[in-house]
Amino acid sequence: MCGIVGYVGQREALPLLLDSLKRLEYRGYDSAGVAVLENGGVVIQKNKGFIADLEGILRASPAVTGLAHTRWATHGKPSRENAHPFLDCSGKLALAHNGIIENYQELRERLKAEGHTFTSETDTESMVHLLEKHYQGDLRDAMRHALKEVHGTYAFVAVHKDEPHVVVAARNESPLVVGLGTDENFIASDVPALLKHTQRVLYLMDGEVVHLTPERVDVEDAEGHVVTREPQRITWNVEDAEKGGFDHFMLKEIYEAADAIHDTLLGRDIAQELNGLLRPVRAVKLVAMGTSYHAALVGKYLLENVARIPATAELASEYRYSTHPGDKPLVVLISQSGETADTLGAAREARRRGCPSVAISNVLGSSITREVDATLYTRAGIEIGVAATKTFIAQVTLLTLLAIHLGRESGALSPEAAHRLKEGLRSVPRAVTAVLNDAEAIREVAERYAQAHSMFVIGRGVNYPVAMEGALKVKEISYIHAEAYAAGELKHGPLALLTAETPVVAVAVKDATYEKTLSNIGEAAARGSPILAIGTVGDTELEKRVDDVIRVPATDPMLYPFPVSVALQLFAYHLARTRGCAIDKPRNLAKSVTVE
Amino acid sequence: MNAIILAAGEGARMGPFTASEPKVMIPVANRPILEYVVSALVGVNLRDITMVVGYRRERIMNHFADGKAFGAHIKYVTQAKQLGTAHALLAARGSSPEEVLVLPGDNIIDAGLLSDFLGRHEGTSVLLTESDEPERYGVAEVRGPNLVRLVEKPKQRISNLVSTGILAFPPSVFEEAAALGETGSHDLTDVLHELVQRGAVKAVLSGGTWIDAAYPWDLLKANAAALAGLHEVKAGTIEKGVTIRGKVGIGEGTVLRSGTYIQGPCIIGEGCDIGPSAVLLPATSLGKDVRVGAFTVIENSLVMDSAVLGHHSLLQSSVVGEGVRGAGNLTAAAGRASVEMEGEWHTVANLGGMIGEDAELGAGAVLEPGTLLESRVRVAAGARVRGRVPAGGMVM
Repeated sequence: MCGIVGYVGQREALPLLLDSLKRLEYRGYDSAGVAVLENGGVVIQKNKGFIADLEGILRASPAVTGLAHTRWATHGKPSRENAHPFLDCSGKLALAHNGIIENYQELRERLKAEGHTFTSETDTESMVHLLEKHYQGDLRDAMRHALKEVHGTYAFVAVHKDEPHVVVAARNESPLVVGLGTDENFIASDVPALLKHTQRVLYLMDGEVVHLTPERVDVEDAEGHVVTREPQRITWNVEDAEKGGFDHFMLKEIYEAADAIHDTLLGRDIAQELNGLLRPVRAVKLVAMGTSYHAALVGKYLLENVARIPATAELASEYRYSTHPGDKPLVVLISQSGETADTLGAAREARRRGCPSVAISNVLGSSITREVDATLYTRAGIEIGVAATKTFIAQVTLLTLLAIHLGRESGALSPEAAHRLKEGLRSVPRAVTAVLNDAEAIREVAERYAQAHSMFVIGRGVNYPVAMEGALKVKEISYIHAEAYAAGELKHGPLALLTAETPVVAVAVKDATYEKTLSNIGEAAARGSPILAIGTVGDTELEKRVDDVIRVPATDPMLYPFPVSVALQLFAYHLARTRGCAIDKPRNLAKSVTVE
Repeated sequence: MNAIILAAGEGARMGPFTASEPKVMIPVANRPILEYVVSALVGVNLRDITMVVGYRRERIMNHFADGKAFGAHIKYVTQAKQLGTAHALLAARGSSPEEVLVLPGDNIIDAGLLSDFLGRHEGTSVLLTESDEPERYGVAEVRGPNLVRLVEKPKQRISNLVSTGILAFPPSVFEEAAALGETGSHDLTDVLHELVQRGAVKAVLSGGTWIDAAYPWDLLKANAAALAGLHEVKAGTIEKGVTIRGKVGIGEGTVLRSGTYIQGPCIIGEGCDIGPSAVLLPATSLGKDVRVGAFTVIENSLVMDSAVLGHHSLLQSSVVGEGVRGAGNLTAAAGRASVEMEGEWHTVANLGGMIGEDAELGAGAVLEPGTLLESRVRVAAGARVRGRVPAGGMVM
């Protein structure tokens, strides 16, 4: 996903473009660039990194026409060369693009043969030269002709130095919306970029080409017929727009869990992505911080149970103080952002020790990917809420795939068992959706527990780290002091803290640990603690033993972390909400911690 | 959204089992394959169903009628010549002004598979699943969430994602299919490729059941999978001394005679007469009015309506067509087999016999692993048979 904005009017374009672009940062940020029409020429400035990184190098300009782009690489690495906008050979025409040009190879060969010079490997660049080829004094005509030769999904925005007060754009499948001002007009990938300047917008439809000047906006369809459409008035504010109808980013992102799993699974070939690395694997060390560390702990159980490979999980900040006797283990480094300082340090340490290493990250080309032998990407999309939700789910998805892969390699997992587990994994989005459909019940339960000062979260086996992650979510956003314990550990001390004022949240799903967890629940209940259980649908026995139940669908025992985590995320969210906390920006916390 | 089920084909690779029935009506765990598709649709509340029928269409129409008994409203359109899937879809042109969901009628699916797809599809979309033998199917290449292309039975590995043939289209698909038909192409895959050229075709990976049965031996795998979801029903008469373990379904009017031992999952249709002292082992389906004689052992097999398997017979991993009569002491033991089907040789790890409808087998006949008898074959008492016997043939 990428974001584009365009401006034509009377005011200085550069600060306007930059400000609007920041409103699209949720669509991604790994490189950004601007193009403005200045002194009869096109001036392009771009940089790798956040929009702020671009801002840092930007030279002021009096230009009143321009466009800007923020990129989130899904294919092709983020770099200055691959950042948009692109210039044609003559340097007169600039273009930004969101989407994929399917036939760019063919266009590229043809245009090269016709003498055009390419400077990047992107699909977008072929469109710039195609526009150049068709340009005969009218950018709109050039766009219309060029589109006939382009297959794929796109939102294009272009400017030409010979038409200093014109922006031309076109879309197919990728979003584009026009903002109507007074003596100025805007265009952007999404409404939030426009709202500061206007509430009157015009949505473009597939195949349409739009011609913007400070005074006019003309829309035509693919055949060149004039399209008349009434502008719409947007009544919501900038934040609402980005949150897509949800009250908080965190809630939106919890609801994106099913998509995150699906997208992370789709078309996955772990063997190929590991690139023949590391065979045979005799031991695995999973290294991470925070939520990713909890994913690592889930991974430990998965690797040991599914792949029968000894696995340990370690906090990245502690990794350097540990040693590994015996074989050099495969080191798996997990970081959503790929920029976590502690985890980066551990990656370098792993290399120094000569261990093969694999990163699991959500950000293409992030720093950690340069420190390791291979990277597996979660495809959760950008996450804005500081409390990680869908990216945790996506990390566990990848770890399950990794465990299945290593289990097949070592022969510990039979083809039939692997098949069953994969089939279960493909059905996990449905289980997660079932939990989300039950959100109202979870909210009601959470409201009853929101006044607690302190609570315990317990689980066994693979659900122990899930309990830890649940406790972390509760701490992070609701500021309730929540501690996770392995259910069996409760009686070795912490039981002394249980009173009628300290609720216990118990993961008690129907797996091999069920009976034992029930007796631990009994121990806690005997101290008068209110008990909330996360249980399997249809388990009527559980209800008799506890005060409240949140239900999750039955799955393969090793796949319970998915629905249970989502249930705990929703529970934590509603606790925080009932308590009136700043959910998306909890105190003292930042999204990714880039200092050790 | 309306559903269009493509059910016009014959299914020639099923050998003798499509002699008088279209492939979609072959029973698996005692329900025609097509019924699984209809139940899955009803399960996601898509009740307006158009069936494109052709080969032996009366068998389909008699079974489903207007669909009321299955909780659906079913309309039928006829595809006279089976030129291809896009051509079949065109037969249903005008049946829907809305988006359409197109499904092949010859795969066993469940509602879970469809609910995943319906929750995630957008515009033109294709439902994918993973396979351990992608080279048997149409393999998908995806980029991000989009389909790049489908390659039918690729020689080189592309991915493990295979198309289920289940597709969602905007109503304009009929125009696309018609335009492509003009150029002599009648396949929905070509329509998809055309749409990929022009914009995005979304790829959706789904959980849930998808079982493809191309060859008779695939029916056994499908049968076993379908039996895994069996509901236990015990009607009929169970005499004293019958042992039943695991999940077993027993139809009305069936008699299980004394000493019979059944290890589920097994399903037994209505009006059967089993034993005394017969043994049914896991993943066995017996249709209606089947008779199994004393001391006969049946394991992992699919036996269709009105078949008779006399005393002291052994049947392992076998498919027995309607009305087959075995006099007794019939042996069809499973083993590694090489079978020729439609000019291609297939090696199957564990296969017994495949016996077409109305075959007559004399006492003591032995079928070697992978033997295929077409319809109405007669085998003399004590004969040993291997390979393939054509319809109406006689083995002395």
